[in-house]
Amino acid sequence: MSLSYGRSVWSSVLCLASICCHAQSLAITHATAYLHPGRPPLQNATILIVNGKIAAAGDSVPVPQGTRTIDAHHHMVTPGLMNSDSQLGLLETGTDDTSDSAVATGPFGAAFDVQYALNPNSTLLPVARADGLTRAMVMPTNSATPPFDGLGAVLCLSEGAGILDRPHAAVVATVGGMVAPASGGSRSAQWMLLRMALDASSAHLKRPVRNAPATSGPSATLLSPTNLAALTPVLERKIPLVVNASRESDLRQAIALVDDYKIRVVLVGADEGWRVAPLLASHNIPVVLDPYASTSATYDQTGARLDNAAILDRAGVTISFKAAFVHVSYNAGIAIREGAGIAVANGLPWAEALKALTTNPAVTWGIENHYGTLDAGKDADIVIWDGDPLEPSSAPTLVLIRGRQVSLETRQTLLEKRYRPALTANPLPPDYH
Amino acid sequence: MPRVDTVIQNATIFDGIGHKLLHGSILLRDGKIIAVGPAIRAPAGTKIIDAHGGYLTPGLIDVHSHLGDFAAPYTLQDAKVSDVNEESDPNSAEVWALHSIRVQDPQFSRVRAAGVTTLQVLPGSSDLFGGRGVVLKNVPAVTVQQMEFPDAMPSLKMACGENPKYTFGQKGKFPSSEMGNVAGYREAWIAAAEYKRTWDDYYAKHDPTLAPPPRNLKLETLAAVLRGQILVDMHCYRADEMAIMIDVAKEFGYKINAFHHAVEAYKIVPLLKQNGVCVAVWADWWGFKVEAFDAIRTNAAFVDAGGGCVMLHSDAPISAEHLPQDAALILGAARRVGIDIPEEHAIEWLTINPAKSLRLDSRIGALEPGKNADVVLWSGDPFSVYSRATMVFLDGAVIYDRNDPAMQPISDFDVGQPAMEPPQ
Repeated sequence: MSLSYGRSVWSSVLCLASICCHAQSLAITHATAYLHPGRPPLQNATILIVNGKIAAAGDSVPVPQGTRTIDAHHHMVTPGLMNSDSQLGLLETGTDDTSDSAVATGPFGAAFDVQYALNPNSTLLPVARADGLTRAMVMPTNSATPPFDGLGAVLCLSEGAGILDRPHAAVVATVGGMVAPASGGSRSAQWMLLRMALDASSAHLKRPVRNAPATSGPSATLLSPTNLAALTPVLERKIPLVVNASRESDLRQAIALVDDYKIRVVLVGADEGWRVAPLLASHNIPVVLDPYASTSATYDQTGARLDNAAILDRAGVTISFKAAFVHVSYNAGIAIREGAGIAVANGLPWAEALKALTTNPAVTWGIENHYGTLDAGKDADIVIWDGDPLEPSSAPTLVLIRGRQVSLETRQTLLEKRYRPALTANPLPPDYH
Repeated sequence: MPRVDTVIQNATIFDGIGHKLLHGSILLRDGKIIAVGPAIRAPAGTKIIDAHGGYLTPGLIDVHSHLGDFAAPYTLQDAKVSDVNEESDPNSAEVWALHSIRVQDPQFSRVRAAGVTTLQVLPGSSDLFGGRGVVLKNVPAVTVQQMEFPDAMPSLKMACGENPKYTFGQKGKFPSSEMGNVAGYREAWIAAAEYKRTWDDYYAKHDPTLAPPPRNLKLETLAAVLRGQILVDMHCYRADEMAIMIDVAKEFGYKINAFHHAVEAYKIVPLLKQNGVCVAVWADWWGFKVEAFDAIRTNAAFVDAGGGCVMLHSDAPISAEHLPQDAALILGAARRVGIDIPEEHAIEWLTINPAKSLRLDSRIGALEPGKNADVVLWSGDPFSVYSRATMVFLDGAVIYDRNDPAMQPISDFDVGQPAMEPPQ
């Protein structure tokens, strides 16, 4: 049996392969392949990659002669993983000069766009890659005009300069008690400001005016033409509005936005999401959650529980994962893998957990046409694992991003080489190792 | 807590001191471990629990916790003033974490359900001298005295590096540099040595007519360190800072019990070993501060392989729910650089090693006769992400049972919270 490719596709692939250089072709054989996360794996599978794309995948895929072949030795092979809420590419060591995810002053609200700051040489990227992460949603953390944080982007973690997959993937906003002071002290003001901006942008869409609706006062930047224009694709349902929120009342307000504005909403956090799971499902609101959240870290998270993922998934909500604290970006790969395992330990089916690491974020962030499964035609983001990827002791043995094998070396593994115990007898300082 | 004599049978046992026993049993009586072995006959009247191939470990010990002094939920008030750090003076040696503990912190119950039976709660790292730590038994309680581990040695939290210098430097106060930090420690130890001498002189005279010297809470703690009565647990990240701190300790005649966080311990394993200093570390925290930039996942493994002493800690309150998984992450990273550490050894990082660090290894940290019956029964290999603690015993009493809702205690904070109830 072979999956998801027809004869015609296959012949065109052969054609391509013969015109093009074999160096750009690669085959993975003897894979226990999760071609479609959520479904059982295909045993003994072959995946053929041509020009960065998956050309074919199945258990009887012929490999053209001369193609570089990697034997997976029946290890698990999955699509590269995706983190749904990080600041990868936007920060280095947490100092102000190396952090680009937020602005505190200036003209930007919803229009604050993180894409121009993305740093392909960030030392965080190799660490994430070596943990099997190949895509990430990159979120702004705050703009000068709360409750909007700005425009998020999808990152492709390939080596080299071209790490931007999709700019303007979402408009991001944050509401809740911990950030209420920025909007005057009440979350009610946050929702009112959000609605004011959506109303103004909507009016602007119907009857464009050359000048800003407000030219002075606190609402001037909120309703500036630039910031209102950033909301246009949200109102046109081209991109979602991301709402970072945890408390049930805020989740219900986000649901109301879907009813009132017919926009698409993605919830990030949603620690109390389990309380409104059927509503989230019926409103097609995907949820990005922290699978480690077990307790009331803040009052807004009073209802946090470890089976949030399992309950939401059972209700039919599209879930994907984020991590918290230092793990958000620095451990963007390992933290969501292990987190997915924790969700499984708390009732989420394993197959759904793998979906939440791959196909679900692909759909949530609008890149499912080129990422998220191992279907023919998709970018060849592929990982061969040395064990179960949801176990923290496991790691990739091979990572392909857009068909290119990436290095699994990181600053950390290189430091390990310098200081490995076998070298303690070396008379030269580690700087020479 | 009520307890009954119990035999747990048919378990894979990690005894916490390096051994793995298949199909093992353990007998708990009167709060103590009586026997561990392949086949233990249950005395009459003993409750028998079949582990069905599950795993047994000692109760886990988190040697660097902030439960209770950095209690959940965190609020905007905590952002201004927090119970974890006394930030009015870089030398806050006079404060005790004991006095900040909020017993009803709901996180105690979450961590209990994850197998943590003993916690050392420390003050934070804003100060050069953060104050005294406290060792707690993770029992549901109303007062902190009910949780205090009896006769545990006190500890003093000290901190290196970025936190003290930023906390005070940003306010235009001393210290505002690493060299200022070290000057701050040394000045304090000079004063402590003088204070100790004054009291030593007073005691040596044996004269009841003499008025005792005035007490000073800061110096009392520091003098007790110089007398070897208080252990020094020191927050340091970088190898060069740790080496400096070892010199400062030598200058003033005290010993550093353990470096906590110690993300660069792997660079100075022989130095740590020579000086008998343990390290308490995370598995994979890195990069979030300049001083954490060189952290590696094999840090614990390299120290261990070099013959040093390693413990894993949580630091961030809720990380203590996943300590065995942290160990698993390290084991995987170590295996990939050619260091194979068996699980029965790695569990020592969470059992006997922290017990030794707390000077409680005669009572906890191992499944062997005579030790307190602090025992965790796991659904599977505790190093697997899929395993969960199913039963937790402390002093022989069941303090948590995943299969018995009546034995899943929650703190007062979690009572009457509509957000936790099933939706209407």
